[in-house]
Amino acid sequence: MTPWPPLLALLIVVPLTGAVITPVVGRTRAVRSADWSLGVMLATSVIALVLVVQVARVGPFSYVVGGWVAPYGIELRFDEFGAVIAVICLLGTLAMVFSRRYAAQAMAEQRIPYYYALLLLNLTGMIGFAVTGDLFNLFVFMEILSLSGYALVAVSGEKIAEMAAFKYLVMGAISSLVILLAIGILYALTGSLNMADVTGRLAGAPAAPLAVAFGALTLGFMVKAAAFPLHIWLPDAHAIAPSPVSAILSGLVVKVGIIGMLRVYQIAYGSGAVDMRALNHVLMWLGALSIVMGAFFAVFQDDIKMMLAYSTISNIGYIIMGLGLASSYGMIGASVHVFNHAIIKATLFLGAGALIFQTGKRTLTDLAGVGHAMPWTVAAISVGAISIVGIPPTAGFVCKWYIALGAVQAGHPFFAFALVFGALFIFIYYIRMVNAFYFRQPRDPAILEVTEAPASMLVPVLILASLCLIMGVMGSLPLSFIEPAVQRLLLPLGGG
Amino acid sequence: METEATRSLLPLAAFLLPLAGAVLTLPLRKISARVRDITLLALTALCASVAVWLAAHVAGGEVYETYLLQLTPDIWMYLRVDALGALFGATVAVLWMLALVYSWGYMAEGHRLGRYYSFFMLSLAWTMGVAYSGNLLTFLIFYELFSILTYPLVVHEQTPEAMAAGTKYIIYILVGGSLVLLAIVLTYFAAGDQTLTTGGILSADIGQQRLFAIFWCYIAGFGVKAALVPLHGWVPDAHPAAPAPFSAVLSGVMVAAGSFGIMRVLFQVFGVELLREMGVMSMVTILAGFTVLFAAVLAVNQDNLKRRLAYSTISQMAYVVLGVSLLGSDSTIGAIIHVTNHAFMKGGLFLCAGLFIRRLGVHRVSQLDGAAKRMPVTAAGFAIAALGMIGTPPLSGFVSKWYLGLGMLETGNPLLLVVLLGGALLAAIYLLPIVYRMYFREPVLTADDKVTTEGREAPASMLVPLVIVTLLTIALGLGASLPGMPVSLARMAAETFFH
Repeated sequence: MTPWPPLLALLIVVPLTGAVITPVVGRTRAVRSADWSLGVMLATSVIALVLVVQVARVGPFSYVVGGWVAPYGIELRFDEFGAVIAVICLLGTLAMVFSRRYAAQAMAEQRIPYYYALLLLNLTGMIGFAVTGDLFNLFVFMEILSLSGYALVAVSGEKIAEMAAFKYLVMGAISSLVILLAIGILYALTGSLNMADVTGRLAGAPAAPLAVAFGALTLGFMVKAAAFPLHIWLPDAHAIAPSPVSAILSGLVVKVGIIGMLRVYQIAYGSGAVDMRALNHVLMWLGALSIVMGAFFAVFQDDIKMMLAYSTISNIGYIIMGLGLASSYGMIGASVHVFNHAIIKATLFLGAGALIFQTGKRTLTDLAGVGHAMPWTVAAISVGAISIVGIPPTAGFVCKWYIALGAVQAGHPFFAFALVFGALFIFIYYIRMVNAFYFRQPRDPAILEVTEAPASMLVPVLILASLCLIMGVMGSLPLSFIEPAVQRLLLPLGGG
Repeated sequence: METEATRSLLPLAAFLLPLAGAVLTLPLRKISARVRDITLLALTALCASVAVWLAAHVAGGEVYETYLLQLTPDIWMYLRVDALGALFGATVAVLWMLALVYSWGYMAEGHRLGRYYSFFMLSLAWTMGVAYSGNLLTFLIFYELFSILTYPLVVHEQTPEAMAAGTKYIIYILVGGSLVLLAIVLTYFAAGDQTLTTGGILSADIGQQRLFAIFWCYIAGFGVKAALVPLHGWVPDAHPAAPAPFSAVLSGVMVAAGSFGIMRVLFQVFGVELLREMGVMSMVTILAGFTVLFAAVLAVNQDNLKRRLAYSTISQMAYVVLGVSLLGSDSTIGAIIHVTNHAFMKGGLFLCAGLFIRRLGVHRVSQLDGAAKRMPVTAAGFAIAALGMIGTPPLSGFVSKWYLGLGMLETGNPLLLVVLLGGALLAAIYLLPIVYRMYFREPVLTADDKVTTEGREAPASMLVPLVIVTLLTIALGLGASLPGMPVSLARMAAETFFH
């Protein structure tokens, strides 16, 4: 049975049509496109909310497009991992609100409708990616979000922006090709593209092509997730993009690689035909390396957005490590960090965006003393910083705790050590940031005259900052929500 | 202790009252500074009364608990007031209240007072949380919060020295915190998140190697905060850099929080029997004994008064760890009451140091000549606290050292008396010359002092806290054997550890 089937389809149709219509709506007056896309996101959020409540009550469900039953037709499948759409919608909505003032300053007016259209398209791609039950559509949605992502990086029109976008495009295209290759192999082996169907038919498939397929999928998704050393496209792209876009890219788009990996695991563990142990081992090390190296590079940055971009690499490292550990604690921690990191990183990027918008400065040296001029924004950034480092009881801590437990559970206490001390590294550069904002003498006294950000920027930042705290204090809610999905996933391994 | 715990909201109140103060600081300033000061005092006074009330009732055999929040599907944030926590909580709240009153005078011309008072109250809230934590994760949460959110107080002056001290502080503290986190992760995995009650929650079944790893992670992690040599590097820098009232609580109770953590972990996570089986405590004894003497020797050489006091704190706090490490009930009683006694004595000394800075502009011991003539009350307070620190009867410092000494004999370590007495002797060497200078040397006058050599005594709002801590030092010594005094609570705690 598929309860409320149209909703799952509408979840994609609404933002997709909305995106296509946006440039038309904004043709005469650009600001209308902002209202329109905000409305579209709000509608999508309502649908998402209903679906998430539904999956919490009854578990996973699916919808077959046009009534063509799987494996022949297109299947949309919604499970607990798919609940990431809630945070996609949340960040999407807040980014739309934030963009109202930001876009007006950052780009030419005739570009604004296209900016919103691209943003909506990007969000649609992610939503589709999260709920599709079909490998080919997975690829299609991935391309929708990647292509719109490349364009969004370039949208500000700065000189370096084109270069950054190009670098992002090259790496993105290569990873997409690798993933497409893997999907092709799986199709050749099983004759099906439906994920559930593929899972069922993989048993007995020859080992060599399988290894290539899963290796390629992992490689491709790790590039998308920007695991070290496959991260080279990320820092520039995330730092140069307009701040609301950075929030979406860093908070959500890199998670596509993670959600992709979760789908890969569902197929691999579900079919029992693939031995993921070697790959998992690679992932653990990749995660540990990403944590440490991301933090290491971040320490040397003076540009605040550059620093945040490197911090994303560290945090993706947590998640990748959690996945690689393949223990229930680690998986739960990693899955929840997909949500929590999105919220935290969006707080930081939007907060940084507000600072840059008000002061016109973007390096720590120039921003010294800004905490006294923009107390609310900087307080929100500080909350974000505390959460991302994983100080209890904020959102970041829950995941750090679970992934560290997962490392011990999997019999690799060394990784718990790497995780905890990697987080320490991360703290060092956030303490630099807090020092600059509050305790250092301003380089230019004019910064003390700056006023607080306008409400359309401040309110989203404050909402996100309070979520950083709420998600920590109410940590058991997301944890117990995701737990059944992880138990199901790890069941073939003997319950994890 | 197998007493049935009473559900009560009071532990929560002790934590929420200062938290409310922290939140209200900024809006209240908009009305007037006076309203803010009075409100904050009222809130801390309430908090202190709650803490003292809890301590009195715990001494009467009650145990209180509060379930706060469900953090993860299997862990609650949980407060539980037992004898050890009740005593520490009461000490914290009372000292903090006094330091707050003192701050009015000390910080009068300071900058960013809103931030100062706000974080001052926040730190109190978190420290109360540390005292009343009922399980390891709750403990970790409050411990980390108060370690990290005191950073703004350490760097409050924003001078280059303060910033450097702050960086040092935060790095030390974070490394320590990470080790504690790691230890708690390992503990949780081995034993689950059990309430900290009695006997210990770990068992020898988890393997010798893992047990040792957990043990040393805890000792090293809390050792940073408790300033065990060689993990003490942040203490001598952070104290001179911080404002005096904050130095008082930093030295008085925050360093002690590390020792408190060690006690919680040793007695309630490992348990005495397991520790004896592991046979590791002698190493901790050596470490602590070395710290007592080493830091005291370093203190003798310091000319900066607050720095000298900071080294004294390192030395005195090592007494606590030393007492605990012997695993004897008398030495444990001595360790527990020394936390309280030291808090008021060292708090008093730092309050005096702050007064010398504010009223005389003097930071260094060598400039204190003749200070007693100009600030008689302050000098008297300093002298009494100094004598207490050395362990002169009948002051409170004597009581704790008496029990520590008894414990050393009880556990068959008479040689350690050398450490105990050596530390006391060194304390005399680094504290008494200051007293001598204040009373028996002629003041050296600087240019603006020429007119008068007298009349520099501090305003009442700064003297009252000093007088109260001094009286407490005397009272805790004279009345040590009365019921309801720290000794009785410490004895209760020790009985549960060594049943």
